[in-house]
Amino acid sequence: MTQYEDLDDARLRRLAEQLGTAAAERLDVEATARGVLARLRRETRAPARPWWPAPAWLRAAAAAAAVVGLGVAGALVRGAAHRARAGDELAAPAGAELRELSADQLRELLETVSEPAAPGAPAAAALVATQDVGLDDLAVPQLRDLLQSLEG
Amino acid sequence: MPDAQPAAAAPTDAALIAAYRGGDEQAAAALVRRHARALARFLAAAGGAEAELDDLVQETFVRAFRALGRFRGDCQFRTWLLTIGGNVLKDAQRRARRTRLVPLDEGVRSADGDPHERAVAAEAAARLAAGLARLPPMQRNVFLLRAQQGLEYAEIAAALGTTPGAARVHYHHAVKRLKEYVA
Repeated sequence: MTQYEDLDDARLRRLAEQLGTAAAERLDVEATARGVLARLRRETRAPARPWWPAPAWLRAAAAAAAVVGLGVAGALVRGAAHRARAGDELAAPAGAELRELSADQLRELLETVSEPAAPGAPAAAALVATQDVGLDDLAVPQLRDLLQSLEG
Repeated sequence: MPDAQPAAAAPTDAALIAAYRGGDEQAAAALVRRHARALARFLAAAGGAEAELDDLVQETFVRAFRALGRFRGDCQFRTWLLTIGGNVLKDAQRRARRTRLVPLDEGVRSADGDPHERAVAAEAAARLAAGLARLPPMQRNVFLLRAQQGLEYAEIAAALGTTPGAARVHYHHAVKRLKEYVA
């Protein structure tokens, strides 16, 4: 390494040491410390975020997909039960109307469908309910009633 | 028995970290007071705009306190903090979609010397800042940790997850490129 390069290195280091010094001196360290503490306190108070911190639009899309899935499943079950006389009514899938709903409406609908069907409801009521609730939500007697009705 | 009690030694970073993790938030404030200026100097040199410096410093400390459980003490707390600051700045610059440079008169703001010398020094500092902004992040961080913060290669390597030899190579590449801007 030449003497010229050595001098250049020293100059570069001096410049680097000074870079940002004035801006750092103007930083209000006490205000910064207060700001950091305030943010830490807010984070401590804030409820824990879900393990799937998806953006709002993604959660809305997932909710819509779930509702559409439930609707289609319900339509298929009901279609099988009433295929001889209700074919025309089921021509338009349940999802078609759902696509026109806003995210808030979909969320509200999802909350509604998560309510389980009333225990001990008759088979007809269970059939109607399958359009609005998932099969997982049905009790064993309701599932049995549903199967019996499909068998005719 | 002496009249005056000996001055209590300042608590170490490790002691403050342990105190904060034990629920003493004033320990966090003490860590901020101790390291904020060095962090601000690093961030300003790496391209952080002065108007955003306070936000960048705060964000760096908050991320560091969140991640304290992952700090193993392989390097100094300050070195670890500076590397987090480098990531915070990179994220901010990505969001801003532009690289900000240190103002022309930044860094060499001295009342000493004649105006011509000050202007020449300010111009060199501006060229250095521009050069730093063009370096790959690893080279820039290694250069600043070494040349600005005066850290050893082993310490830099531990903080950046590389080897001292690799850190030395990054430093020399950075110097070579920066000389083209500053000379």
